[in-house]
Amino acid sequence: MTDITPGILMIIAAGFVPYLPHHIRQIFMLLAISLSAFSLTAGAGVHWSVAVLGQELILHNADNLTLPFGIIFHIAAVLNVIYGWHERKAMEHTAGLAYAGAAIAAVHAGDLITLFIWWEATAVTSVFLILASANERANKAAMRYLLVQVASGVMLLAGASLYWREVGSLAFGSMELGSLATWLIFIAFGIKAAFPLLNGWLQDAYPEATILGTVMLSAFTTKLAIYAFARGFAGTEYLIWIGAAMTAFPVFFAVIENDLRRVLAYSLNNQLGFMIVAIGIGTELAINGAVAHAFAHIIYKALLFMSIGSVMYRVGTAKATELGGLYKSMPLTMIFCIIGALSISAFPLFSGFTAKAVIMKAVGYEGLVFVYLILLAASAGVLHHSGIKIPYFTFFAHDSGLRPKEAPINMLIAMGIAAAFCIGIGVMPTQFYQILPYSLDYQPYDASHIVGQFQLVIFAMLAFTFLMRFGFYPPEIKSTVLNSDWLYRRLIPQKCMPILNFAKRCSEFANMVVVTSGKKVILGTHYIYQHPITGPVAPGPAAIALLALLMSVLLLVNIFS
Amino acid sequence: MSNLNPQLKKMGNYASIFLLIIGFCLIIAEFFVHRHGEIDLEDLFIFPVIYGFAASVFIVVVGIGLRHILMRKEDYYD
Repeated sequence: MTDITPGILMIIAAGFVPYLPHHIRQIFMLLAISLSAFSLTAGAGVHWSVAVLGQELILHNADNLTLPFGIIFHIAAVLNVIYGWHERKAMEHTAGLAYAGAAIAAVHAGDLITLFIWWEATAVTSVFLILASANERANKAAMRYLLVQVASGVMLLAGASLYWREVGSLAFGSMELGSLATWLIFIAFGIKAAFPLLNGWLQDAYPEATILGTVMLSAFTTKLAIYAFARGFAGTEYLIWIGAAMTAFPVFFAVIENDLRRVLAYSLNNQLGFMIVAIGIGTELAINGAVAHAFAHIIYKALLFMSIGSVMYRVGTAKATELGGLYKSMPLTMIFCIIGALSISAFPLFSGFTAKAVIMKAVGYEGLVFVYLILLAASAGVLHHSGIKIPYFTFFAHDSGLRPKEAPINMLIAMGIAAAFCIGIGVMPTQFYQILPYSLDYQPYDASHIVGQFQLVIFAMLAFTFLMRFGFYPPEIKSTVLNSDWLYRRLIPQKCMPILNFAKRCSEFANMVVVTSGKKVILGTHYIYQHPITGPVAPGPAAIALLALLMSVLLLVNIFS
Repeated sequence: MSNLNPQLKKMGNYASIFLLIIGFCLIIAEFFVHRHGEIDLEDLFIFPVIYGFAASVFIVVVGIGLRHILMRKEDYYD
């Protein structure tokens, strides 16, 4: 039983989800996730492999790196089921369960082809979470999302094929950049990890998904890429600089973004940067930091998306310009949102603090002063856009006049569990560190670290207060902030239009030439048939049969010559 | 509920005062706690205080600048 790859049972179960009545369906999904999680107890090693076309595909590989990702993906899947309990339509549940299952199965893939299959499966299943919004905007965003994700998969497959030719093995292990194969795989991972300039899909698509869909999406795709980098490219120096850029740039965009779910998507991107930096360093301490951060991040990011989703569920919008003053109407949602905000801001006693501290220690230990300063500034930035902006503009700021009911009970329970995890990880770092890939003897709670961290976050908050008081903080404006998706949504279509028009004209011309020539040939044949030069006139069917015979002979001669 | 705006203002004032007090205490704490960072620069007197404040102001200032370049109407892509 434990040999079955974790996640596969969830994918199979997803097939039954549409046919089950509402509450039974939710219980069924929880059971499927629990059964799937049971496979995590199999221990380290290869538990399931099949031979296909002379290649050994490793469907279930488990080790100290797969375990933390397996655990957190199952926790996220359970939270999603509870959070979406009120949702009667089956589409999101079916897609969500299969999507989570595909991500979990991908984590346990021991070779690049199996990874590719599940990699694409996450794309194909998750797109329905965007399509479920059922509006034109979401449909277009879904198609763009699918194109980007499938492109990532195709690059992975191309890279895997070339890698097999080079190395003679498809095993998914540590790789070194240097050949086309490894670069293709690296970029394929980079697309899913939302590298700078490859990140447009994330901020484009996530906020267009359904309320439940965005929560689901936030957990799996990008963290699967983080896992893939940790396994394949740990210690690749490029990643340190790419990650540093990832932590910095989204912060500026998040400050001026009006859609709070998009703000969270930028913040997600920024958090991925911390993990990528740590993977780039690649030491045991750094990999522990990356995994710890991914684990904590999935929960607090889900909590933040859940809280904004709950507000959206009640008032129908997540735009900062239309929200405000909801602290009295939705007090519990506000408390959970603030717990998520404190966690992502790395306040002591919350999960972000215990997780991020390991990364910062690893960066400091390597003497990467410049990178360290970028990460420190990005931490202040995270506090601004996720720690303050999200709860402030939703629950305080000004009175929007909205007086909604508190979030549904199932949403509150899911948020409550996520909040408990955020605090639990924050106050029990030693227990938390035990699930990390390598043993870690580190205590984040010493007076020096606590005072230093409080100084950073409190004075960043004071800066926000100062800027708000004196009117320097940019007001929320209904707007679209251009992101890297502008390249393929505007620049390329516009700039390439003359080329496309020229190609279209060429095609029309070629078409005309072919059609005209064809017509002339037919007319000519018809004329010759009607006016034979010599000999008797052959009956029509006989002439066609003769022609067909001649053509067949010519073809056969051509084939066998 | 019509008095929500004054209430929010009052809460904002309290929060600001609270933050100032905490901030003041954290600067005082610098004299009692031997604070050491992961890099040497961090060991400078009240470094996180200055860096946290300055980085936040910098981010907002750059954000305002970016708005002039990157902001479009809400229906830009529609």
